Amino acid sequence: MFPKLDPLLHSELRLAVMSILAGVDEADFSYLKKQTGATSGNLSVQIDKLTTAGYITVEKGFKGKMPCTTCKMTPAGREAFDSYVTALKEYLATGA
Amino acid sequence: MEQNKEMTAQESLKLITETMNSSRKEIVRHSGKYFVLWGILLTVFSVLIYILWKTTGKAAWNNLWFALPAVGFPLARWSKSKEHPVHVENFISRINGGVWGTFGLFACSVALFTVLFGVFSDSPLASLVMGASLTAMIVLLFGMAETISGIALKNWAIKIAGWLTGIGGMAIYYITGANEEQLLIFTFAGIVLAATGLIIKYQYK
Repeated sequence: MFPKLDPLLHSELRLAVMSILAGVDEADFSYLKKQTGATSGNLSVQIDKLTTAGYITVEKGFKGKMPCTTCKMTPAGREAFDSYVTALKEYLATGA
Repeated sequence: MEQNKEMTAQESLKLITETMNSSRKEIVRHSGKYFVLWGILLTVFSVLIYILWKTTGKAAWNNLWFALPAVGFPLARWSKSKEHPVHVENFISRINGGVWGTFGLFACSVALFTVLFGVFSDSPLASLVMGASLTAMIVLLFGMAETISGIALKNWAIKIAGWLTGIGGMAIYYITGANEEQLLIFTFAGIVLAATGLIIKYQYK
């Protein structure tokens, strides 16, 4: 029996955001937007969903006079991401 | 990028791998900017001090080296504050920053120690020996810092540049001897550092 893939992560944009955050300490909204190529509205919605799930934290502040939204992966998010990757590998290993 | 696109397991893993690689490349490419900045500063300072020392005959112009971090660090901070989007950091970039920060601290400390030793020591010969070996010490530290950066960033261009600077710098030091010509070592190191930065920026464009 295969572990069920986390539906929250099995979405292209949310998975891309989590993949970026898995490799860095934190990233601001503009960086995530640039790296994913997503629109601001779409990215905001997906970040909200990840925040509600407790996978990431969002901190709003200012850099100089510019507003700055910084996202960071939580330990729960990292655990979910690791489980997701493990599950994917199991699927692929058995050709499911 | 769409949020509701159905992905296969292969597509998901491919997306994760590509995104993480792209992020790593971005961090390495970004470090190139600081290699160029410090490389240019090092070249300019070494040429300037060389000219002043050569024309006036006064080795005291070497004290101008203390102005290098005083100019470089605010410039680097200003450049970072102008970044949009704000650049990301990870373990590798922190190691890289730590290595160069440690190099700066050691280089400044040993240079300051040499200056103070020269002021307070009764033996002019001892201070001359320390001053002469200072260049060799700093160029070796510099080469080591650059090589470690190359190892951390997994970049052969930086590793080779580090060996070139450390070993090549020592070779120039033994050829030129303890006079103003030894400043050419730092000109060489600065050019190699700036060239490395440009190579990185080009490689990860």
